[in-house]
Amino acid sequence: MALKALDIYKILPKKNCKECGFPTCLAFAMKIASGKADPATCPYLDEETRQKLGAATRPPIRLVRIGVGPRKVVVGEETVLFRHDKTFYHPPGLMVEIPDTWSPGQVKVVAAQIENEMFTRVGQDLFLSGVAIRNVSGAADTFQKTVAAIEEMVSLPEILISDHPEVLEAGLIECGTYRPLLCAATDANYTSFCRLATKFGCPLTVRAGSVEGLANLTTKCVQEGVEDLVMDPAATTPREFLALSTQIRKAAIERTVPAVGYPVYCDTTTYPDPDAACALGVLKYGSLIVTRPLEYSRKLAFLTLRQNIYTDPQKPIQMAPGLYPVNSPGRESPLLITVNFSLTYFTVLGYLEGAKIPCHLLVVDTEGLSVLTAVAAGKLNETLVRESLKKFGAEEAVSHRTLVLPGYAAPISGRVEEMTGWKVMVGPRDAADLPEFLEKEMG
Amino acid sequence: MTWSGEIDRVHIGATKQEGGTRSRVCTVGGAKNLPFLEGASEMPLIALEICDDTGSWSPIVLAYTGDVTRDAGEWAKKAEKEFGADLVRLHLTSTRKRGFSDVRGVRTTIEAVLQGTGLPLIIEGSNEPSVDSEVFSACGEAAAGERALLGTAEADRYRSVAAAAVAFGHGVIAQSPIDINLAKQLNILLHEIGMPHDRIVIDPFTGALGYGFEYSYSVMERIRTAALKGDTDLAMPMISAAADSLNIKEVREAPQEVRDETAVMWEFCAAFSAAVAGAEIVCVRHPRTLEKLKKGFAHLAGEG
Ligand code: SF4
Repeated sequence: MALKALDIYKILPKKNCKECGFPTCLAFAMKIASGKADPATCPYLDEETRQKLGAATRPPIRLVRIGVGPRKVVVGEETVLFRHDKTFYHPPGLMVEIPDTWSPGQVKVVAAQIENEMFTRVGQDLFLSGVAIRNVSGAADTFQKTVAAIEEMVSLPEILISDHPEVLEAGLIECGTYRPLLCAATDANYTSFCRLATKFGCPLTVRAGSVEGLANLTTKCVQEGVEDLVMDPAATTPREFLALSTQIRKAAIERTVPAVGYPVYCDTTTYPDPDAACALGVLKYGSLIVTRPLEYSRKLAFLTLRQNIYTDPQKPIQMAPGLYPVNSPGRESPLLITVNFSLTYFTVLGYLEGAKIPCHLLVVDTEGLSVLTAVAAGKLNETLVRESLKKFGAEEAVSHRTLVLPGYAAPISGRVEEMTGWKVMVGPRDAADLPEFLEKEMG
Repeated sequence: MTWSGEIDRVHIGATKQEGGTRSRVCTVGGAKNLPFLEGASEMPLIALEICDDTGSWSPIVLAYTGDVTRDAGEWAKKAEKEFGADLVRLHLTSTRKRGFSDVRGVRTTIEAVLQGTGLPLIIEGSNEPSVDSEVFSACGEAAAGERALLGTAEADRYRSVAAAAVAFGHGVIAQSPIDINLAKQLNILLHEIGMPHDRIVIDPFTGALGYGFEYSYSVMERIRTAALKGDTDLAMPMISAAADSLNIKEVREAPQEVRDETAVMWEFCAAFSAAVAGAEIVCVRHPRTLEKLKKGFAHLAGEG
C-alpha cells in the first residue's frame, strides 16, 4: 500500500539541505506521497530506505515506452482489475510478427501496411502499433538485414525476438537508438540480455511461467540496472494466459507482489486459436500483443475492440444534439426523433442507412440516456421536443408537420402533440422495425 | 480469487422423461468464480438465432444459410445437424408486422421448430404491447412441457411473458437497458409475481462492437461481480446477443470479398468478449461465427 507523507518524512534524513530541490524534507515527503517527486533525488538515502520508498510510491505497474516519435507505444500504469472501477489507461500495442525468413518484398508490403493503414472511428484514428521481428532463420546476419530493411522504410516501434543475445545485438546495430523491446530474457540468460538492454537503453521482456518466476526474474534484472521491463507469462493456452494475467494484475495493483508491477506480453502466434488469444489479450490485461499479419476484417474488429475496452467508462458517450440528414432527404421526407445516447443513435442510423430511406433525424439532448430511461426519468418530455424542433430549425427543414417518436416514448405522445402542434406518430420500439414502419406508414 | 456467491442454475429443455420432447437439454449457471478461471470451467453455450419472417434479417446470413431460411423448422434442423448449435433461438419476427393477427401461424411455426430440432429452445415473442398477451400465451402453450426460455421481459412489459412462463413451466429472459440497478429491479419484480430465481436469465442488452459494446461488457462484469459477492437478486445466468452486429456500417459497407468475414469477426468479438465478461449463453446469427466461437471457447475452457 502507498505510504502517507508523514510515514515518508519519518524515514527521510531530515537534513533540510534542499538538495532535492524542495525547501524541507517534509515538503519533499508530501511531493513523494502525491507521486510528484522521485525519492531518488535525495542523495542521502541509504539503499534500504531508497528501495522502501521506491516500492511504495511508484505506480503499481511501471510505465514502459517502446519506440520513439509519435507512434511510440506507451503501456503500463494501470490501476484496476475491471474497467468499471476506474478505467484502463494505456491501450495494448498490437505488434505484427515479421519473421526474418520472409523475402524483402513481403517484408516491405506488410511493414508499409502497418505504417499507413488507418481507420477512423468516432473521431479517433486507429492503427496497428508496430512490428515484432522474429529470428526464425537462426542467423544473425539475416536478422540484421531484415531489421535494416524495416528501418529503411518505416519508423514503427519494434520488438526484436530471439533467444540469442548475439542475434539481438546484430539487430540493435540497426535500430538500437529507437528503443526497441528486446524479447525475451530467461533465468538462464538474463545477464547477457541485461547487458544489451543497458548498452542500448532498451526495454526488456522477461519470460517465466509463473508469478513467482516472473517476480524473481524482474528483481534480478532490476539489480542488473534494467528497470523498463515487460513480462511474458509464457502460457501455453489462452486459459493459462487468462489465469496468469489475472493473478499478475491483481498482485501488482494490490502490491502483494510488487515485483510483477510491469506490463504483460502476449504472443498470440503460439496459440492454436490466435483470434481468441488476441481478443483475450485485449480484454484481459495484455499490454503488448504479438499477432500474425491481420487482414481487413480482423484488423478492423480488433482495433475496434481495443478502442471499446480502453474507452473511459465514466464518460457517457453522447452525440451532439441536432438535426441530421440521412440519405439526402428532401423537405417532404419524414422527421424522426431520437436521443443523444450514441448507442441508440448509431443503431437507428444503421437501420435507416441500410434501408436507404431519406429522412431527417432530430437528436434531442437526454444527457446520454436511452429512450426508455429518458422517458422514465422525465428527461425526454414535450418541452424538450418543442425546444429541439425550434433550436435546430426543424420547421424550416421540412414542409410538413408530422414527427415520429420512438416506440418507448409512446406515453408522452399526447402531450408532445398538444405542446408542439405537430402531428405525432409513435414508431416501433425496435430500430430494426423502422424501415418497415416508414414504408407502410409514411410511404 | 475467492467469492461468497454462486450463480443459480437454470435448466433449459425437457426430455421425454421430464415431460418434453428434447433430445438434449442444458443447464447454465453454477459459477463460483469469474469466467474461465479456476472453478469455472463450464463452456458457454451458443444459440443460433433464426426467425419466421426474414424481412429484417441480415442478407449476409440469409445468403450464407440458403433456402432453409424460408422454413423455420428446416432452419432449426440445420442449426443442430449442420452448424452444431447448443440452442436455437427463434425470433417470431412475423409478429412485428403492423396489424399482426396470425396467432395460429405462430403456433405452427413453434411446432415445426420443435419437430425440426431436438435442441432446447429460446422463443422471442412479440414486441408490441397490444398483442403481447395473445402471442406469449400461444408461445407458452405451443411449447408446453418443453421448458423453453421465453423472451423478452422488460421493466414496463413483463406480465404477459411471465404469465405464460409461469403457466406453462418455461423460463424467462429479463432484459434491462445496460443498467445494473434496473436489471436487479426487474428480477425482483419477476420474482414477486411468481418467477422463481432459477427460471430467470438476465439479458443486460448488448450493443454491437463499436456501438456501445463497451457499456454492455462492463455492465456484465458488474452484474457478475455483484452476484459473486453475494447479491442473490443478480445471481442469475446471463444471455448476450449483439443483435445489431450485422447491420452496422463496418459490416454493411465492407468490401464484397470480405463482407462475410467481417460479419463473422464482428459477431465473434462481441460474443467472445461477452462470455469473458460472464455471459453463459451467447447468441449469433452467422453459422460461421458459431463454429469459430466453439473453437475459441474450447481453448478457454481448457478442453483444447
Ligand atoms: S535532499 Fe534529502 S535530506 Fe536534503 S532536504 Fe531533500 S529530503 Fe531532506
